[in-house]
Parts: sequence; C-alpha cells; structure tokens
Amino acid sequence: MTAVTVVFAAMGLVALVSAFLVVTSDQIIHAALWLVVTLGAVAGLYVLLAAELVAWVQVLIYMGSVVVLLLFALMLTRTPTGPGSATVTRNQPLATVVAGATTVALGAVMWAGFGGEVIDEDEVRVGTAARLGDAIFRTWVLPFEVLSVVLLAALVGAIVLTRRGER
Amino acid sequence: MPLMLPLVVSCGLFGLGLYAVLARRHAVMVLLGIELMLNAASLNLVAFDTWWADTVHTGQSLTLFVIALAAAEIGLGLAIVLALFRAVGNSDVDGQEPPTSLLAEGGDEL
Amino acid sequence: MNRRYSASAVGITAVMAVCAAVVAFPRLGDDTGPYGLPAGRTTTLVDGGDLLGVSVTFYVDHLSAVMLLLAATVGLLVQVYSVAYLAGDARYRSYTTIIQLFLVAMATVVVADNLWLLVVGWEVMGLCSYLLISHHWELAPARAGAVKAFLLTRIGDLGLLVAVFAIGQTFGTYEISEVLTAMASPDAPEGLTAIGLLLVVAVIGKSAQFPLHTWLADAMPGPTPISALIHAATMVAAGVFLVARLYPVLAESAVTMTVLAVVACVTMLLAALLALTSGDLKRVLAWSTVSQLAYMFAALSVGGYDAGIDHLLSHGAFKALLFLVAGSVAHAIGSTALRDMGGLRVAMPLTFLTGTIGFAALAGVVPTVGFFSKDAVLESAWHAIGHDAPVAPLVAVVVLVVGLVTAAVTVVYSFRAWSMTFVGHGAPARASVAVHEAPPLMVGPLVVLAAATLLLSLAMPFDLLMGLVTTAIVVAAGWLAWRTMSAGRDPASLLGPAQPAFTRELDWDLGYAGAGVVARRAGDLVTATDRDVIGFYPRAAAATSVWLSRVLARAQSGNAQTYVTVLAAGALLTTLLVVVR
Repeated sequence: MTAVTVVFAAMGLVALVSAFLVVTSDQIIHAALWLVVTLGAVAGLYVLLAAELVAWVQVLIYMGSVVVLLLFALMLTRTPTGPGSATVTRNQPLATVVAGATTVALGAVMWAGFGGEVIDEDEVRVGTAARLGDAIFRTWVLPFEVLSVVLLAALVGAIVLTRRGER
Repeated sequence: MPLMLPLVVSCGLFGLGLYAVLARRHAVMVLLGIELMLNAASLNLVAFDTWWADTVHTGQSLTLFVIALAAAEIGLGLAIVLALFRAVGNSDVDGQEPPTSLLAEGGDEL
Repeated sequence: MNRRYSASAVGITAVMAVCAAVVAFPRLGDDTGPYGLPAGRTTTLVDGGDLLGVSVTFYVDHLSAVMLLLAATVGLLVQVYSVAYLAGDARYRSYTTIIQLFLVAMATVVVADNLWLLVVGWEVMGLCSYLLISHHWELAPARAGAVKAFLLTRIGDLGLLVAVFAIGQTFGTYEISEVLTAMASPDAPEGLTAIGLLLVVAVIGKSAQFPLHTWLADAMPGPTPISALIHAATMVAAGVFLVARLYPVLAESAVTMTVLAVVACVTMLLAALLALTSGDLKRVLAWSTVSQLAYMFAALSVGGYDAGIDHLLSHGAFKALLFLVAGSVAHAIGSTALRDMGGLRVAMPLTFLTGTIGFAALAGVVPTVGFFSKDAVLESAWHAIGHDAPVAPLVAVVVLVVGLVTAAVTVVYSFRAWSMTFVGHGAPARASVAVHEAPPLMVGPLVVLAAATLLLSLAMPFDLLMGLVTTAIVVAAGWLAWRTMSAGRDPASLLGPAQPAFTRELDWDLGYAGAGVVARRAGDLVTATDRDVIGFYPRAAAATSVWLSRVLARAQSGNAQTYVTVLAAGALLTTLLVVVR
C-alpha cells in the first residue's frame, strides 16, 4: 500500500461523493458547482495516473469552459434555480435500479477481467505534453483532423439551433 | 497500485451519471449526467494507458479527443436546451403539454 | 276525382288479363293428370346456369292456365267493382297499384318453373295481402288483422322455404318440370315424407287451414273487393295450387296425404260450424272459404286431383260473387253485421238475385257449379275407399263422412246468412235510411260472376248417385233451417250448449297467445345463449385486445427518458446473458 494508492483512494472517494451530490442535489446551480469538484478530483486522479497533459486539459476545458457554459445556459434560460428547482421524474425508481445494476455489472466485469492486475509505478511513462504531442501528431493525426471537422460541424449546428427569428 | 482502484471509481461515476440521465427532470441535469459518464470512460482510458505503459499513449490521446468531443457535445446540447426552452417554456425532459399547441405558438420568451 | 286514374287502373288490369288469356288458352287442353310426364311448355327468360343455380323459367300447363284465367278474370272484375266501391277513397291509387302487383305475383306463382321464382311470388303475395288488409289502417281491427295475416302466413312461408331447400337437395334441381319428370320416371326418389310435411305446413299457413285458420276471418276489416280477390283467386288459392303443382311429390308419402286429409277434415267441419254461429256476413263468408278450401285439400288428399282443381275453379267463381254481393250490401247499408240487414230483396233486386245464386252454389244446389264440384269432391272420397288411393280406406271413409256432414252444415249456414240478409223485415234502426241498388259498375261484375257460376256447370263432371245423395242432404238441411227460421229461432241455436263457445270462435287466439309466450321464452333462451355463451368469446377477445393495447400503449409514452431506461435495462440484460453463458 503505497502513498499514491492512499491518495488515489481518497481523491476517488472525493470524486464519487461529489458526483453523488451532483446527481442528487435539488438545486441546479449546486449541482453544477459540485460537478466542478468532481471534475477537479478526476483531474487529480489523472495526475496520479501520470497523465499530466490530460489533467491540465481536464482543468482547462472541463472546469473552465464546460461548467461556465452550463452556468451561462442556465442564466440565459432564466429557469428557476432555487431549492426544488431540480426535481426527479416518475422514472426515478426504475432509474435507480437500472443505474445500480449497471454499476454492479460493470464492476463485476472489471473484476472478472482485471481483478489481480497492478499498475507498476516504477515503469509508468508520464504523459507529458511532449510525448502526447508526439503521439497525436504522429500516430493519431488522422482522428485529430477528423475531430476538427466534428468540432466545426458542432459549431455550425449550435449557431443554427440557437438562432432566432427568420427561417 | 491495484488497477481495480481507478476502475471502481470509474464504474461508480458511470452509474451516477446514468442515474442522472434516467431520473432527473431538468435537461441541464441530464447533460451533467452525460458529462459524468464521459469522465468515467476517460478515467478508464487513462488507467489502462498507464497500466499498459503504452508508448504511443493511445488511451490518453483518446481521452483528449473525448474531452474535445465533450466540449462540442455540451455546446450542442445547451443549444438544444435553449431551443427547447424557447419552444416549450421550460427545460423538462418530460414536457407535460402536447407539442402541437406549443409549435403553433412558437414562443419567443428570450 | 279518381276517374282518370281508375280508368288507367282498369285498363292496365284488362291488358294483364288479355295477356294471361293469350298465354293460358293454348294450354287448356294439355291435361295429362298429376302422374304423367309434364305436358306444359317451359320458357327460359334468364338462365342462371351453374353459377347462380336460379333461373327465371316459366312452365305453363293446364293447371297454370286455369289458375291464370281465374286470377285474371276475378282481378279484372274486382278492379271494375272497386271503381265504384272505393269512389272517393283517399288511398285509391295505392290500392289499385297493389292489386296489380298482387295479380302479377299470383301469375308468377302459377307459371313459375323455378321454385325460387315461385317463392318470390309467394312472398310478394303475402306482402300485398298485408298491405291491402290494412288499407283502412286508421282502424285498429284492420291493423291487427293485417299483422295477424302476415305473421300466420309467415309460419307457412318458413315451411315452404325449407321445403324448397329440401327439394333442391333431394332432386338436384329447382325446376318444377324437372322434379315432375323425375317423379314420373321409374326410379323416382323415395322417402319424401319430410318434404311433403313441410309443404303441408306451407299450405296450412297460406290457405288458413287448421290450426292457423283464424287469420282469414280476422282479415275482414279490409275492403270487401280485396276479400273477394284473396278468397277466390289469389292468396289462399295459391296453397291449393302448390299442392296440385307438386302433387306427385306429396302423393308419394301416405303419411303426408293422411296428415293433409286429417287437417282438411278438422278445418272443414270446424270452419263450417264457426260460419254457422258468426253474426257478421263477411265473417260467415270468410269461414265458408276456409271450409271450402278444406274440401279442396280433402279431394287432393284422397287422390281426387281433378275434383280439387274443379272445386277451386268453381269456388273462385261463386266466392268472388258472394263477396262482391256482400260488398254491395255493405255499400248500401254501411254495415256488415247480419242483425243490421234483412228485407233487402225489395230494395236491391239484382244484388238479391245474384246473391241467391251465389249462396245456392255455396250450399250445393242444382244446377249451380257448386253442386257439381262438391259432388266431384265427395265422389273422389267414395272412389278412394275401394280403389288404389294415396291414403288408407279408413281415412277416405272419414273424409267422406265429414264431407257429407259439412255439406249439411254448409246448407244451414248458407240459408241462415241468405235469409237474414235478404228476407224478413229489416232492422228497425235502418228504417230511416233509403236503401238503393248498387251502381252499375258494381252490379256488372255481379252479373258476370253469377252467369259464370251457372255456366261453368257445363264443364263439370257429374255422378248421378252422389248427386242424389247431396241433393237429399240439401233438401233435408234446407228444410231444417227453414223450420228453425220460421219458428223465430237462429239456426245457430241448433248447436245447443256448444253455441257460445263457437260464437267466441273457441278462444283460439288464446292458444296463439300461449304459443307466442312459449316462443318468446324460447327466443329469450336462445338470445341469452347467444349473448352470454357464444357472445362471450368475441367479447372476451375484444376486451383482451383492448386491455393489451392499453398496456402496450402505456409503453409508447413519447417520454425519451423511459425509452432510454428500457434501452439501458435491455443492454444490461444482454450483457448479463453474454457474460453468464
């Protein structure tokens, strides 16, 4: 039991608890803010898994832009954001069962597949910006370019969807 | 560090995200659930990348792509929520009113 | 006001009569008797072939020709008579039109070769008689009589319908001429009792025989010329015609003929006694019709084919005459009750004369046609005792005895009705009304029919022995009736203590009511079975479908969240299946 393991377990716990608060909070703003905590904890987990660049990107893009975008959308739609603003549907009991069963099933599959495996902390290759840049622009350059097209399409789609008035 | 540790955290995040998608009424909450599920997948990818000590960093590169896709998805998703709000007057996924009367009005609340 | 229309109505009927005569006259000699090969002429108008199985074919022989001429003549005379009788009637137009339809239907029945064509004419006649009986539909008795006539004849029609199906099954054809050919061939089908009995049911309904005998008397609220038409030439004659037409089929079974003979005997005497006690001139005539029809069936049942047809013809003549006389009387005094009449011979000499001839024919007095034809009937029963006949000798004896007794009763009630109508001093209540002879348009038909009643005798057979017997009966019964009347008593009192029961017509309608109650109970049972047992299955199937569709429709909520939940659960289950295996 190394120190990394302990810290990882603690941060993982933080991520799970805050995620639980995200999905059970009855105020949307609180949920969004708890999501920040979750995303931050996951970024910490990336660091502990030696994924340096991914952790930074997580902080920058997720915590920076995605959550801010969410908050902006909430403010734009002027939906009620006070207590009781985020209710559950009648589907909740079934959702609980399905989600719980899915979690258990996934965990069981993981355990069956990788139950005894251990990450050797001495042979870890740290995912620095240089290495990842090397990998993306050498090995994964084609998916990268395709992704740029997807982003462009999403950009255009978002503009079309939110445009008002004349059709 | 046992590989199961990040995998368990990932499973938990996925289950919570799925619950949010299936049970919450507000469309934004559904989007939050989707983000949680994407994060669970990303965590899995990074964990396996590290465990495998991959030289070309397949998992981490895919995680970056996923994050980019998530950004695009959240942008589109919020645009849809905005359009829904304009049309219906709320952002509930189980809209209570029949859509015909709503389309006829085509509300311009913003 | 109806002059132009009545002219066209009479004209159309006259054209129809001429057409009938043209068709009928060449066939009058084709008489080969009931058992010979069909001698008539078959004409096919529409050949249904194998596809429909029903062809529009006509078959005219001696029998058809006689019936056709009778119906056409009486129909024409009734039309002429009605011009005066129904002058000023608001529904005269529909009346004459229905009479024409009636005559066409009767003509269809008598010349039809295809049995389905015959059924069509038969049913149309039932409808027409219903419409004509209810001509004065503002009167409750007319409505009730029409409904009763319709319902009771429907019972017979059902028998005819099933009989036609059975004939088609047995003979493989619906053509009457082919059926008769098959019966004349050496390998004729046997075991026709069921068909015969069904046909007997049909004629019992149509010809008002026991036990469905009451509708004819209750049809009297209809216009009197209609009664002449129905009683003499069409409706009830169709029953006799059907028996004569399919005579070989019926005669094949002794059971059928015995049943027919028994029905005829019961009807004959019962109807004569009811005629004796009735207080209404038209009802007397109606019961006498039932009685005389029974004579015809009796003759047919003992093998007297020609006698039956002859009596049908002669009865057609004198009964039409009697009803038109009754109409003339009713037209003059505005009533048909016997107690309102009396002494009319002075005021209405022509009606008196023709009426006397008619009643004489009904009673069987020499030399009217009724004498000869009734003799022929009784002679055929006498002949059947010693010779080969469709029925056992004992049955023939019964027919003969009942026929003779009925002949005596007929003389008594004929004398009673005749003398209460024309002789005597008349009812006091009528003293102020000036009674006058009927208009020429009504007297004309009377004279024609009276002449026919006398002249048709020339065409009738004559048997000296039976003629002496019946003449003796006429003299004896007439003397008895005369003595009773001159003593100031009603001849109906000769029945003694049984008279009130016969005056109430034996409360026979109560029997119908009881049968109706039983039938309704049975109907309720069938309805309940249909609704609660058989109907349960389709209803349960429908309810199950509706319930299932409701359940399944609940799944189609349009709620994306539900869909995704089910999707996730499905994916989970699939995964589990894959992993566990």
